[in-house]
Amino acid sequence: MNRLPALALLAALVAAPVAHALEQADVDKLVKQLDDRQRNGGDYRATVFLERKERNKNDTVSEATIYRRDATDRLVILFTKPKEEAGKGYLRIDKSLFFYDPSVGKWERRTERERIGGTDSRRNDFDESRLAEEYVARWVGDETLGKFTVHHIELKAKDGVDVAYPVLQLWLDKETGNLMKQEEYALSGKKMRTSYYPKWKKMMSESKGAEVYFPGEIRIFDEVEKGNSTTIVFREVDLKSVDDAIFTKAWLEARSR
Amino acid sequence: MWVYFQIAGRNLLQARRRTALLGLALVFVTTLLVLLQALSAGVADSMRTAATTLSTGHINVAGWYKTKPSDSAPLIVDEKAVRKVVEENTPGLAYVISRDRGFGKLVSDTASTISGMTGVDPKQETRLIGALTLAKESDYKEGGSDKRFGDLTKLGQKGTIVIFAGTAKKLNAQVGDQLTLTSQTFQGLSNSAEATIVAIVEDIGLLSSFSNFVNNDTIRTLYQLKPETTGAVQVYLKDIADSDRVLGVLQEAFKKNGFELVPHESKAFFQKFETIQNEDWTGQKLDLTVWSDEVSFLASIITGIDVVSYFLIGILIIIIIVGIMNTMWISVRERTGEIGTLRAIGMGKWRVLLMFLLEALILGAIAAAVGVLLGAGLAIGIDALAPRVPFEAMKFILLSDKLHFVLSPASLVKALFLFTGVAGVSALFPAYRAAKLPPVTAIQAVM
Repeated sequence: MNRLPALALLAALVAAPVAHALEQADVDKLVKQLDDRQRNGGDYRATVFLERKERNKNDTVSEATIYRRDATDRLVILFTKPKEEAGKGYLRIDKSLFFYDPSVGKWERRTERERIGGTDSRRNDFDESRLAEEYVARWVGDETLGKFTVHHIELKAKDGVDVAYPVLQLWLDKETGNLMKQEEYALSGKKMRTSYYPKWKKMMSESKGAEVYFPGEIRIFDEVEKGNSTTIVFREVDLKSVDDAIFTKAWLEARSR
Repeated sequence: MWVYFQIAGRNLLQARRRTALLGLALVFVTTLLVLLQALSAGVADSMRTAATTLSTGHINVAGWYKTKPSDSAPLIVDEKAVRKVVEENTPGLAYVISRDRGFGKLVSDTASTISGMTGVDPKQETRLIGALTLAKESDYKEGGSDKRFGDLTKLGQKGTIVIFAGTAKKLNAQVGDQLTLTSQTFQGLSNSAEATIVAIVEDIGLLSSFSNFVNNDTIRTLYQLKPETTGAVQVYLKDIADSDRVLGVLQEAFKKNGFELVPHESKAFFQKFETIQNEDWTGQKLDLTVWSDEVSFLASIITGIDVVSYFLIGILIIIIIVGIMNTMWISVRERTGEIGTLRAIGMGKWRVLLMFLLEALILGAIAAAVGVLLGAGLAIGIDALAPRVPFEAMKFILLSDKLHFVLSPASLVKALFLFTGVAGVSALFPAYRAAKLPPVTAIQAVM
């Protein structure tokens, strides 16, 4: 009779992992929720600061303004500081990313792999999340990340989709569903980048009729060139309507005149 | 006529000091011109040797492949078919090799560099392997020894790379170290590959600062290429001078065999990505170039050297002309009496002109000949010694780590005639004025 509670406890402990394994539908739902929470029905504007640390070089800091219109997949990143970078910018129209340098006065097409402003950040760090659209998810397990209990999910790029990294590992906070950590892998299986999301904020969106989540900060670490990292801080987020003209090449060109 | 040569020769010997000074100046300028021309030809030769060893054949058959209009993958999707056309239609063919082309980052434990990557099969690349020399450890490692480490034949193994001493220095890498190669596949996915450094070789000028040789299986893995694809088929002819003509022959041959070609542009392939990306077509098109197209971005260096040379020589020629003219004026004044006497005894004006002109021409010819011989001797001697270029900037300009001079008989003959002509032209006006002197005026100088 004394052994019964111990045996019951042992059975419960053994059964626990099996009982908490996520179904595929739940995993897909988690990923979709991650996308939906960040998507806005209308426009999005934010001021971001990018701090780049590179081994054997001085740290650099730049300031940029982000404009997004998720409904039509438009994105503008306009650098405003320092002086040498001011006026440079990116424009995403449909699935094409273009870069403008006012000193040259030329537009150049860039890929998903483009290092935004020469930092470790990529276009998707500033744009709406499309993980459910671009990847197939698989639950790996529940783990702890610091003091948080997290779902560890693996994403593999769907065939024919243009993404920067074909394999992602995500750690989502079990309680809030927020992304806490992301690892990005090359086709070879080599870890290329690790990103941490220590802060998430939310704002009510009238156009969406619900809250929009956005990271307060992203810390990106280069796993190939150890010692290189970039920190992105998001400030002054605004969900008010933005002028249509902003999402045009002419507007970016006019900024530097 | 022989008398005039005798008179001219005697007059030159009489004014020994003047003759020697002018002669030395002409020798100096001629030597300088010969050396500068030989240097410019040497730079062109270095560029040609480095280019046709490291990055291009005499003729390149490369390809562009687009699955969608915004793509620009530098690929030939059917290597066999392209090689067949080349082998059956190339007059004066020496041999053909295939190389995969890549571009990405090389990352060591402590540093990284962006670089071109050429996928090679050492079995096809006997010329390349023969041209590469293992570098001394001291070339890429501070405090390193004079020993040469590495084995080029190991490039036949998958996961291997051969880098140049300059790159090794940048990466703080040694033979046996592992590098991570990162790039994107032509479908746009990030990828990486590991490669062990099996040899570090001596730099071959500027081009080696952005060239590295990777086992072609490693490149194929990095870019996820199928075995039947390649980057470029490089054609080597028995005579490189035939390249332009044979290019035309191959262009027609490919068109006859149903291949589409991009319009010929005298640019390196990496300068064409944006153009190809902006073109609205899909499928495969071939891009045929000659070796000089692939290094056209370096041609401005040779043009620069030529411009500087000619500018310098031009200034010196002006100085020479002024010097000779001045000397001839003095000579005419000193010999006014002689002119008067000669004219009085019946010498015609044109013979007086010829007399003075011949002096200048003989001086010019002898001095130019000495200058040409001296310049040629110096060029041959320095080239044989092959001294190392001490400064990075100079290596960049000269496209080589060593001073290299190339002489051509045509340039030597040109130099000889040029300065003989300069001397003659300089003396023309003073000689004309001497000839125009009225005999009465001239002979009064004697009395």
